[in-house]
Amino acid sequence: MNATRDLPRLGAVLAVGAMALLPMAQLPAFYDSFLYLVFFWISLSTSWALLSGFAGYFSLGHAAFFGLGVYVTADLTTKFGWPFLATLPVAAALPALLALGIGAIVFRLRRLRGELFALLTLSVTFVIATIILNTPIDGGGGIFMSAVPLPELMPTPTGTIYLLGFILCVITLLIAWKVAHSRLGMGLFAIHDDEDVAEAKGVPTLRYKLTAFALSAGIAGAVGGVHAMYVGFITTSGIFELTVPLYVVLMSVLGGARSWFGPAIGATVITTLLYAFISGGEAMVGRAIVAVILISAILWLPDGFVPAVRKWLAKRRRVPLSAPIAEVAPVVTPAKPIGDTVLLQVRGATKRFGGLQALGGVDLDVRQGEILGLVGPNGSGKTTLINVVSGFYALTSGSVTVAGVEIGRLPAHEIARRGVARTYQIPRPFVNMTVLENVVLAASFGNPGRAVAETRDEALHWIGFTGLAGKEDVLPAGLNLHERKFLELARALSAKPKLLLLDEVLSGLNPAEVDNAIRLVRAIRAQGATIVFVEHLMRAVVELSDRVAVLNEGKLFALGAPRDVMRDPRVVSIYLGKAYAA
Amino acid sequence: MPSATLLGQALISGILSGGLYGLLAMGLSLSWGLLRLVNLSHFALAFLAAYLVYELGTNYHVAPWWSAAMIVPAMFAIGVAQHWLFDKFKVNELASLLITFSFAVILEVGIQLYWTADFRRFETQYSTKSIKAGPFFIPILDLTMCIVAGLLAWGTWLWLRRTYVGKALRAAAEDPDIAAAYGVNHKRLAYLLSGIGAGYAGIAGTFIALIATLAPAEIWAYLGVVFAVVIIGRLGNPLGALLAGLLIGASESLAMAVLAPAWAPVVSFSVLIVILLWDPEWL
Amino acid sequence: MLLEARNLHVGYGDAPAVWDVSLDVDGGEIVSVIGPNGAGKTTLINAIAGMLRCRRGVLRFDGADMTQVGAHGYCGHGIALVPEGRRLFVRMSVEENLELGCYLAAARAARAESLDRVYGLFPILRDKRHQPAGELSGGQQQMVAIGRALMARPRIVLFDEPSLGLAPTIVDDMFAIIARVRDEGAAVLLVEQNVLKALEIADRAYVLEQGRIVAHGLPADLLKQPQIREAYLGV
Repeated sequence: MNATRDLPRLGAVLAVGAMALLPMAQLPAFYDSFLYLVFFWISLSTSWALLSGFAGYFSLGHAAFFGLGVYVTADLTTKFGWPFLATLPVAAALPALLALGIGAIVFRLRRLRGELFALLTLSVTFVIATIILNTPIDGGGGIFMSAVPLPELMPTPTGTIYLLGFILCVITLLIAWKVAHSRLGMGLFAIHDDEDVAEAKGVPTLRYKLTAFALSAGIAGAVGGVHAMYVGFITTSGIFELTVPLYVVLMSVLGGARSWFGPAIGATVITTLLYAFISGGEAMVGRAIVAVILISAILWLPDGFVPAVRKWLAKRRRVPLSAPIAEVAPVVTPAKPIGDTVLLQVRGATKRFGGLQALGGVDLDVRQGEILGLVGPNGSGKTTLINVVSGFYALTSGSVTVAGVEIGRLPAHEIARRGVARTYQIPRPFVNMTVLENVVLAASFGNPGRAVAETRDEALHWIGFTGLAGKEDVLPAGLNLHERKFLELARALSAKPKLLLLDEVLSGLNPAEVDNAIRLVRAIRAQGATIVFVEHLMRAVVELSDRVAVLNEGKLFALGAPRDVMRDPRVVSIYLGKAYAA
Repeated sequence: MPSATLLGQALISGILSGGLYGLLAMGLSLSWGLLRLVNLSHFALAFLAAYLVYELGTNYHVAPWWSAAMIVPAMFAIGVAQHWLFDKFKVNELASLLITFSFAVILEVGIQLYWTADFRRFETQYSTKSIKAGPFFIPILDLTMCIVAGLLAWGTWLWLRRTYVGKALRAAAEDPDIAAAYGVNHKRLAYLLSGIGAGYAGIAGTFIALIATLAPAEIWAYLGVVFAVVIIGRLGNPLGALLAGLLIGASESLAMAVLAPAWAPVVSFSVLIVILLWDPEWL
Repeated sequence: MLLEARNLHVGYGDAPAVWDVSLDVDGGEIVSVIGPNGAGKTTLINAIAGMLRCRRGVLRFDGADMTQVGAHGYCGHGIALVPEGRRLFVRMSVEENLELGCYLAAARAARAESLDRVYGLFPILRDKRHQPAGELSGGQQQMVAIGRALMARPRIVLFDEPSLGLAPTIVDDMFAIIARVRDEGAAVLLVEQNVLKALEIADRAYVLEQGRIVAHGLPADLLKQPQIREAYLGV
């Protein structure tokens, strides 16, 4: 049995070995150098996709890291007499450090996504190119590599460069594969779709982005190191060329930048096309055709080739089933009695936005196992309080503790790992991840230390619990609002939170769906979770809550049993006006 | 340290060449700031216009302003056609960047196939004329370009400020839904603005033909600097684009005089990076 | 009937927020739609202003079928919106905001007269007319939003939560202005959370809960009915 499972792997190893030894066959140098270029572009575009494709931070500065690698190798070999192979680790490390430095500054900016990050990285390229040109690193004359000895790994020099390019290409693809199938990759995909939500689900977004950026730049640098030997004569205008970032983007976008092997496919197709035209003497026409392909790809295949094929296959394989969401059975087990232990303690919580005070010193205790309804007129600070407790906003002053631990100033992902989960009023699923992947992500990052297989079972359990069974492989776009709201719940529950913050789970649902959702919240409580929920549908608040807290103008206004609070003349007057209360 | 006269001459020629940056930046700034479309092909359109002026001037002896009078409306039509594509496919900022890059490549290839990769220079009787002001020389073509750029920037600024169409465009850039609720047909105005932006590329191209040496690869030479100018001058503000262009031109030229010519790019990009990191509201 | 909505269904994406709503507004009357947060009030008024498409149902304004009209065509028929949160063009000056209100040719012809009227209603705006709208206080911004709507010389003004976020004394001023708009001849459709204020000023009112009309009639009668209390307080 093992043999059949290992067969593909054995085949892959053999194929890789055969590819590596290809130069032994003494093919004309033309083949070595063509294949080297294919590997070169595969490595560059795949490394670009690690940050820009996976996490969605579009960089136009890949040439900066690649070029830095080229010059590290060129300078160390020609000016310091290092052996060529010894320079490669440095050629990888320096660009990676540069990326860490850039990332540590720019990833803290608020509105960085999109074209600003693209232009910023592009500018870095120009600055680095100018510095290299004007300092002894290059000095303006270019660098000849012909005197640098090449290790004789293969019978011919082109064969040796082919082999090095091939090894880097294999390593790059292995890294991309590994990342795509790890927590890092899961986190990056989540950052791509919705960075705030990723952070709230426990993904350490800053660290992940830096890791991806450094990996991406490091690989590009190493590729540059080898390319220095391939090029032979190095000039800044030749290395820091606009075509590098643009071809890399083109190849990745064409193949599918979110897939680990998409960029490789794009790179192979484009390089072959370009090479065919160059050898046919029609290089210019080739560029134009590539441009036409890019336009068509963006207009008709915005996600790239690989995802398009996948979608098409999925459509052929499955008849989409549109089973209605299962009704949640009423819970018979009585809720656990509420103890006196305080789980969430809020003291003097204040939040200001510029001159506007959204929370003006809120004190609130939530007991272990209770359902606390949080209500109040528009703008009274309910959602702000949820955002403060979950860490989306930092407190201006005051303190928030969960089970005795101060969380008021922790980043959101740390709070999530301490057992606080939230839902969003308007569901914010990761749109490019299936229902199962959405829940697995939350299960895995909300509980660090659990094995992936375990989180999968956990996720499946909560998908069933919320009545979404059978929709595991559906993308969120295929769900209706009711189901997306329940997906929010499944994601929150799978983190096994001590404290669950629900932001208007019922809004937008029709009456039958509301009843179903109320049953679900009861069922969640029966499992022992403590729930704070913001809700405008008062019927449900009164029905569900053990206690109700009324906020008004950023302050706690009333607290107590639902029916008493909602009949309190002071509360009636803030909702309906003084005359009505009388 | 170079002499005061040399620095003064550097400053003057820097400001004058900054006028071209400003002229190129204006169209980009309008479409990026008011339509949220980043048009990389702007440079290629400008060079296409420049080559046409060159062709008409050298082979058919058409005066550059007559060429411009024909080319600018043609560019307007190209801008409208481009926008039709963006509109039909509901293209976002990033996609517009990649698509217009491809346009630029196609135009570059077209130019190279027709006019070859050789350097071309359009000589007119004005090419070498200049005004002497004290110890300084001011080339009249560069001066004319700066005056045209100034008039254009000022006119466009007034148009955006004073006319209903201009106000509607600015309003729609802030909140298209509310603007529509007050009767603004943003789609139609967007076509107009795209056409105008491309028309500006035509005007810039006319001056490129007159003062610069043409080669297909030169299309990309202005890209980085002009983007820096667009952002420094505030998106959607033609007057800001021109002033930023003059500022960058002057500082580049001074950097060349004081340091070495090759250090010039660091100036504009350092300014740009600082502004991006400062992350002001108006970006 | 000036405005006639029959069995309207409206929503964002695939999520309907308003189901099967019918309401009428006649010339020269103030009609209030009240209901708690999240009941679908803003969705309803945005649909009537043309900012959201109606899924199903009939929307007629002065006999014209508005479901066939593009978003930028509503203003020309005489519908002007004072949106929730004001939504001014904050980078533009106060006067430019007002001028956007008279963008269409018919209203533009009366620009000077309309500006005088608006500055007469809100003298403070005349002093601040060259200031960017974003720098004004909340109350002044609300004035600009109302002024912008009046510049369009509308036959109906749609007010979406005009009292939201304003100090109580300013709220009273706003409601006085709304009454004055009606008295000067335009119809008013008012969506409001502040129940008593909205009922006090209205000629007729509707109660919206969870996207449906649960009661309608004269304000005095509605006040006696239990639906409002239930909708707002759950008890």
